[in-house]
Amino acid sequence: MLLHADNVAYRYPQNQRGLPPVSLEIAPGDAWLVTGPSGCGKSTLARCLTGLIPHLYRGEMTGAVWLDGLNTVTAHLWELTERAGLVFQNPAAQMLASTVEDEIVFGLENLGLSRAEIADRLERALAQFDLAPLRERSSLTLSGGEQQKVALAATMARQPALLVLDEPLSMLDSNASRDLVASLATCAGEGAALVICEHRCEPLHSLPGLRTFQLDGNVGDSVPDFTAQSGDAPFAPAPPFTLNVEHLSVTLDGQKVLHDVSFAAPGGQIVAIVGRNGVGKTTLLRALVGLQRHTGVVEVAGARPDLALTFQNPDVQLFNATVRDEILYKLSTPNMAYYAWLLRLLGLDAYEAIPPLLLSEGEKKRVALATALLRAPRHGLLLDEPSLGQDAVHKARLMTLARALADTGRLVIMTTHDHTLAAQTDRVLLMDNGTFVADGPPEEVLPPSTVYRLPSTETL
Amino acid sequence: MTRRKHRTAGLFIPALAADSPLRHADPRAKLLLSSLASLAVMLPLERLGVFMALYALLLLWARLLPAALRQIWRLRVLLVVIFVVDWLFISADLAVIIVMRIVLLVSVFAFFVSTTAPNELRLALERLRVPYRYAFSLSLAFQSVGLLQQEWHAIREAQVARGIRFAGDLQRALPQLRDFVALTVPAIVLTTRRAWGMTEAAYARGFDAPHRSAYHTLAMRWTDWALVLAALLVTGGLLFIR
Repeated sequence: MLLHADNVAYRYPQNQRGLPPVSLEIAPGDAWLVTGPSGCGKSTLARCLTGLIPHLYRGEMTGAVWLDGLNTVTAHLWELTERAGLVFQNPAAQMLASTVEDEIVFGLENLGLSRAEIADRLERALAQFDLAPLRERSSLTLSGGEQQKVALAATMARQPALLVLDEPLSMLDSNASRDLVASLATCAGEGAALVICEHRCEPLHSLPGLRTFQLDGNVGDSVPDFTAQSGDAPFAPAPPFTLNVEHLSVTLDGQKVLHDVSFAAPGGQIVAIVGRNGVGKTTLLRALVGLQRHTGVVEVAGARPDLALTFQNPDVQLFNATVRDEILYKLSTPNMAYYAWLLRLLGLDAYEAIPPLLLSEGEKKRVALATALLRAPRHGLLLDEPSLGQDAVHKARLMTLARALADTGRLVIMTTHDHTLAAQTDRVLLMDNGTFVADGPPEEVLPPSTVYRLPSTETL
Repeated sequence: MTRRKHRTAGLFIPALAADSPLRHADPRAKLLLSSLASLAVMLPLERLGVFMALYALLLLWARLLPAALRQIWRLRVLLVVIFVVDWLFISADLAVIIVMRIVLLVSVFAFFVSTTAPNELRLALERLRVPYRYAFSLSLAFQSVGLLQQEWHAIREAQVARGIRFAGDLQRALPQLRDFVALTVPAIVLTTRRAWGMTEAAYARGFDAPHRSAYHTLAMRWTDWALVLAALLVTGGLLFIR
């Protein structure tokens, strides 16, 4: 047996969250999918299996984990990480080197490999993740999806016997997801064991022999009392309008990121923008709210649109002492009925008095969404990868909210790699090389039979 | 529309530094050159002027003068304030020499970071017998300057997007103090989280392993030795010859 977890449980010192008791046996070549609601302890389990808990954490751990015969409490951490590789949820925080090449080399040097072996593994990792064109690029200049590929390449190049991946698909486009699943299948075929913690499960079902471990959790998000319906939405309908974008172009550091983008979107629509990593989806949203210098026109009836934007990383905007203070900040006459409705719909009512920074990533994203919405933007809402870190229940809540906004005549535009989410929208815009290459209803742009394999993106 | 500039000058960007002849100089030579230039701040006014003229010529030859001038320009307000205060309260000579020292140190920083990758700094420090743990930490801190800059812009944008306007609020200062919390709290949280994330990522890839090997190596070429010799002669001459 490669790994044996015997009733392992963990509790963080700063709050009551952690991991409920878990027992698991993993043999070489096994592939496990760990699922469960946001905040149930998936990331904590990943750290327990790879030895980072208890070596780097000072909480209370009970039970035991044996990895390749080594007890994770008594073995050196480097002995454990040689056997078990962990790719974390946040790719940006894993970038340690100044170039993509050095990022991969770092972990290989720590294995004490010869230069020839490092060179060989480096080239294979670059080829496997299509990173060769980026090898000299600074990780600072990569998109989130590209950083995720680098983090995966850097860990997989070490060829650990156990590979633990925490939400590896969250920022990958459909093609990169498919390639990753193929790489994982190859790893498993060569005898490596896989543990994949993921909300976006569908692409993983093609992994041979995949078994599911349901982590229900004794902690985490409140289980929804999902009674709020779109018809309850306590805000007035918006007058009809159309967002016009004409010949929008953005150049960053001498490179054209958006090129002559034009589209019109009437209020009342939910629009999904999909496309490969790094094609300019986030830049487009930034340009629509005026955060990005651009050429071309973005207007509603000749004036700048009033749109709210929620960012991929909620940590950049949360700072108040409680969730309530955060959402109501700077609002002189807040609509308290709307506030209560939002809290209920977003599953945040239990956290009103809790500091937002102590919440899980998914919960923080929902707080950030509530702060944007309570500002009551006249024309609608822009969401940058809203499904990151959200389980199925909260994705459903998100779509209910989006539909409620659209039903009142507002516009909702979201960028997403999650095609199950995109499939629920009214219109999908497919981006490539900084412009739109397809525009239509989801059933045309995202054919149901090939939800994870877009024909039009095959060659992207 | 908010203008978002990519403030990259002065930080290591391979594409920007690639055309400098000093980009591929040995980092140990560049470290010595920078250290000597930093020592030169002790020179008296006339000799400091000579040193700075020679240093400017070096930067011009290395195609780094614009990057250094950009860094200095960013400090223009501070430089003017320091000059005026020193001039009014002490003397014009002191005001000039203090400003020249700051300009020299800033341009040394611009020269070093725009031609040296953090990993090269680590290699140089390791070769200079600095323990790996400290060399790695220093190179990571060096690299994080750019990250902090990016995150500060991201935080500012996110707060502007939720309706907080810092430019106007700054002028009203005290009543809007809480808005500065909107910048500083996320900055502290992100920095702490980033540092912890990097620590975890480093350990997860065997940072503490006792048997490291080295993929990249350093080798001093004759041009590096020539640079070192010239720097020693010029600085030594100006410091010690009466």
